[in-house]
Amino acid sequence: MEPDVSIETPSIIRIAVLPIGTIPPPLLRDYHSMLLRHHTIALSAISSFYTEHQKSPFTNQPWESGSLRFKFVLGGSPPSPWEDFQSNRKILAVIGLCHCPSSPDLVSVTESFNVACRSYSSALVRRCFAFCPGDSQLEDGDKKGENLILFPPSDKQTQEFHLQTMMQDIAASLLMEFEKWVLKAESAGTILKTPLDSQASLNSEEVIKAKKRRLGRAQKTIGDYSLLAGSPVDANAHYSTALELARLTGDYFWYAGALEGSVCALLVDRMGQRDVALEDEVRYRYTNVILHYRKSFIQEIAQRVSPLSFELEATLKLARFLCRRELAKEVVELLTNAADGAKSLIDAKLGYQRKAAFFCRQVAQLYLQQDNRLAAISAMQVLFMTTDAYRIQSRASVSKVSVNNETGTRQPDAGKMHHHSIVSLFESQWSSLQMVVLREILLSAVRAGDPLAAWSAAARLLRWHYPLITPSGQNGLASSLANSADRLPSGTRCADPALPFVRLFSFPLHSSQVDIVKRNPAREDWWTGSAPSGPFIYTPFSKGDANESSKQELIWVVGEPVQVLVELANPCCFDVDIPPNSAKVITLSGIPTAVGPVTIPGCTVHCFGVITEHVFRDVDNLLLGAAQGLVFSDPFRSCGSAKLRHVFVPNISVVPPLPLLVANVVGGDGAIILYEGEIREVCINFANAGTVPIEQAHVSLSGKNQDAVISIADEALQSALPLKPGAQVTLPVTLKAWHVGPVDSDNAVGGGRNAGETQEDQKTELALHCLFTMQVQIWPVSNNGDPQEKESVVPPGRRLVVPLQICVLQGLSFVKARLLSMEIPAHVGDNLRDEDIETESNTDRLVKINPFRGSWGLRFLELELSNPTDVVFEISVFVQLEKSAKEDDSSPVQDSPEYEYPKTRIDRDYSARVLIPLEHFKLPVLDGSFFTKDPPPGTPSSSRHPSFSEKNTKAEINGLIKNLISKIKVRWQSGRNSSGELDIKDAIQTALQTTVMDVLLPDPLTFGFRLVRNGSETKAQSPLSKGSVLSHEVTPMEVLVRNNTSEAIKLNLSVTCRDVAGQNCAEGADATVLWAGALSGISMEVAPLQEARHCFSLYFLVPGEYTMVAAAVIEDANNVLRARARTASPNEPIFCRGPPFHVRVTGGEM
Amino acid sequence: MIVCVSVVGHQNNPLYIQSFTDADDALKLHHVVHCSSTSSKSESGTTLNEAFLGLLYPTLNYKVYGYLTNTKVKFILVTTDLDVRDTDVRNFFRKFHAAYVDAVSNPFHVPGKKITSRTFAQTVSNIVGSYGLN
Repeated sequence: MEPDVSIETPSIIRIAVLPIGTIPPPLLRDYHSMLLRHHTIALSAISSFYTEHQKSPFTNQPWESGSLRFKFVLGGSPPSPWEDFQSNRKILAVIGLCHCPSSPDLVSVTESFNVACRSYSSALVRRCFAFCPGDSQLEDGDKKGENLILFPPSDKQTQEFHLQTMMQDIAASLLMEFEKWVLKAESAGTILKTPLDSQASLNSEEVIKAKKRRLGRAQKTIGDYSLLAGSPVDANAHYSTALELARLTGDYFWYAGALEGSVCALLVDRMGQRDVALEDEVRYRYTNVILHYRKSFIQEIAQRVSPLSFELEATLKLARFLCRRELAKEVVELLTNAADGAKSLIDAKLGYQRKAAFFCRQVAQLYLQQDNRLAAISAMQVLFMTTDAYRIQSRASVSKVSVNNETGTRQPDAGKMHHHSIVSLFESQWSSLQMVVLREILLSAVRAGDPLAAWSAAARLLRWHYPLITPSGQNGLASSLANSADRLPSGTRCADPALPFVRLFSFPLHSSQVDIVKRNPAREDWWTGSAPSGPFIYTPFSKGDANESSKQELIWVVGEPVQVLVELANPCCFDVDIPPNSAKVITLSGIPTAVGPVTIPGCTVHCFGVITEHVFRDVDNLLLGAAQGLVFSDPFRSCGSAKLRHVFVPNISVVPPLPLLVANVVGGDGAIILYEGEIREVCINFANAGTVPIEQAHVSLSGKNQDAVISIADEALQSALPLKPGAQVTLPVTLKAWHVGPVDSDNAVGGGRNAGETQEDQKTELALHCLFTMQVQIWPVSNNGDPQEKESVVPPGRRLVVPLQICVLQGLSFVKARLLSMEIPAHVGDNLRDEDIETESNTDRLVKINPFRGSWGLRFLELELSNPTDVVFEISVFVQLEKSAKEDDSSPVQDSPEYEYPKTRIDRDYSARVLIPLEHFKLPVLDGSFFTKDPPPGTPSSSRHPSFSEKNTKAEINGLIKNLISKIKVRWQSGRNSSGELDIKDAIQTALQTTVMDVLLPDPLTFGFRLVRNGSETKAQSPLSKGSVLSHEVTPMEVLVRNNTSEAIKLNLSVTCRDVAGQNCAEGADATVLWAGALSGISMEVAPLQEARHCFSLYFLVPGEYTMVAAAVIEDANNVLRARARTASPNEPIFCRGPPFHVRVTGGEM
Repeated sequence: MIVCVSVVGHQNNPLYIQSFTDADDALKLHHVVHCSSTSSKSESGTTLNEAFLGLLYPTLNYKVYGYLTNTKVKFILVTTDLDVRDTDVRNFFRKFHAAYVDAVSNPFHVPGKKITSRTFAQTVSNIVGSYGLN
């Protein structure tokens, strides 16, 4: 393919012009330009040199008007494989140029000329022109053969004339050689081949065909020679024959060649006369030529050889011929076709780009051998041309369009690799070559004094080939990076990143627990449904599968700081702000300034004095390549970082400013430490840190132990709305610490999100941490009041999560509770009526011990508490009394419903007991309703009391117990100025459960003794006489039996009197007490809720302390009584015993 | 004399490259092999009846011959001989192909990765040694 072709090219004779020996270049140019003037030699001018007088094959030679035309090829050209096809491609003559003063030895000149001619076997004429010979040279010049022609020194005109003569001679010689060749070819025939012809042997049928073909080709070649000889008419005749034969044998390629020759002959014949008819003819024939070249395309060998270049040449020739303004469209079409064809021609060349790179590199090496700056610049520029082929090009040279395309398509198919990247990875296996070329670029850039190019080359070398570079080599590269950076102005940017490797690590969802909530404008409570259900912001259940999460969107707000975590790795052996061979995760933060979608393709790194852009995709591809084994090593893995993990990149969109509420707990954001049961008010400050006022806010609680919040002063928040930017509001929250149970302590600690951070409090495992969150949903004031606009664009609300971390310490710990009973015997006195005593005792203590009544069966609830903390606790017990429950109780305490006992102080690490008297909880009536648990079946009593079994009395009794328990409050005050209540309900309930009957239920019968004074019972008593009995005196006494049940009881009463030793002193032989009346076997019946009395008299012989005890056997006991007495069998007698009464007998004073 | 043989994968990535010269010109031979391996694009379009690609690339000192398997893996031969018989080269490539097939039939070989088999290396040097003897 020769680009300077024209239709007339086939008629031009090629002559190689070779410098022989050494010629100064200016002289060579002179000689060459002298030759060029003789590119056309008229036939008429050569007739004097034409010595051949045999019959010329060129019968129609136009001796008058014709001419031979030459093309001088300075330096010659290698033989073309298509020489046989187009004879004008042959070098038909060689002209040597010699400068005699520079090459004094003419013998050696001749020799070297002959050597030079050897490679031009097709040359028919050889001449060596020796200029400016010396005298001696002139002398023996003639001996050196006819081919050496000496040009004696003379003036320019003479010399030119001489040269013209010589050219005419050459032209004549060539003409004669052509004639010889044609004669020989016509007679003997010739074998003409092209690279298109198959080298395989032919079978017999094809041999015949091949013969005809050969004839046709010979005719075509003869036509070529005729044309070269300047005889277009002869040429045309031969071409016609050739066309005929080629068409017959299907030799399309040669057909096209002959047709091309015939057009040339036509034009040469017309000699510059042009008309429309000629033009049409040329166009018609050349279209045919192109068609036939195309026809001759052989698919099988297209890889190796193709007639495509001839087709293109023909197209170019036609285009050049037609090239005129009127035909611009046609020419453009032709050239476009040619260009397309040329492209495919280039593609068909094997390894074109790589070969170019190979030679470029060799050129660069030659340049680098010269040690100067200009050569280094050239070397660098040549090497830059190779970078594409070796795939080490700078990112700067990768077209911006493709980069943008790749970033654009990144989102949908993250994780897939692009073809380009894959090819790069495969190419990276030529790493030895890549490294060599990069190193050469670095070297040349350093020599050329281009610090940016040097930096870029060193960066590429280090980044992509660090595993193959020794530590010292890495250090060397690091220092060349640093040196280059020193010469660069600060703030220089380079397209090629160096170290470290940067990859995305994660996107923190939202800073400061501020969540954005989509508002549902149709609902008043727009926040519902959007709140997370669990205690944590992340719940595994609310996320779907991976597909769903890939659609997740991240919303950033204009003006609010955002963060992106990236991981850096430095796999090299020197320090880059990151220690060698290590990786670390850092946070990048920024503030969005504009609304819209955001993508984060990479980050900017200032390293080694230059600012570079690190694109995450590149590293991702590298890591994928490492995973597939295409690349040497994964820089992150070699730095001890985790394996390649898929980092989910959310779609980030930036929204306009939203209200931003900042909350802080007054007194510090740490855990609030409370003792069990402690009640405290905590204040939370809310400040509007955004730029938009807050119109609505709603507070809700979530998480564990929400019930610890007793109250939230929501109205404080609501009244402060709308909250202007910068405004603050304080929200008091009342907390009550819950009870630390041994079981749920584990759960709660496990669930507490920040439990790990406050572990030091848990040394005793008594502390309970819990995190629960307070959520405040807010939304901004809409810009204008137009409700329609509000509906169309609803700005999202926001959720602020305020974690309230509460650490509950075990305060007082409950050890055990038990019921104690205490018996204080009563004195037998004049009166049993409590009213009297009541008037006397003004005490408001709960337990009032009436010395005359005693406190038989007094119960105490004893609570044992220990104080494991390091502060002092003071315990006070409050008991609430209800008047209604004590109708017949003798101590109505309407005006003081609570009794407070003296405070009990418990020092640290000590335990103490608190007593709670339970006496006053006796029920007034022993009712059957309490014993429905096991009513004896079939007993007549059940039929008598139809309501007996129907009552759901168990619940009632439980209610009673609860009622009782709720009256007891144990309050504490710690040395830390905190106070609270001890939750011991469960403990009391357990303690009471077993003895509830005894505590609550009155005995069926109660007994009382009193002295019966002579005369009125109500006479005033002196304190002296009160309760005292004289010995040796008949003392009338009475025993009072009270029936506490609702049924009449028949009983058999007996009274005993004992002395201090406990002996029965009213009976027996040595009785010290005489008696009158009945002391035993007294049968009586007591009406329900009534008293009965029995009188008797005692006569004490000896003064001292005596004890009176009344006892009764109940006859015909009903089920209620039996149940109360817990009798085993219905026949068992029920025995009731009263409390002992003391009688002090003083000696008679007489 | 054969100075270098190479196996080039279908992405033009080197799978095996071995030089047989004493001189320290491995890198030069790498370059020669590199620029002889063609871009995959130009080949995928055309169908070849023959595995033997012929003379790929005559340089000043070397001749480079190529051979393309049906899995688009190329074998490249670099020789310093100036007069090479096609049949010799074809024979060489046939044997080399057989050795390659043996090597990649190893169940422990991962296709597309570099061939590290020592047996393959031994076989190849035997084939190279016997080249041109008959």
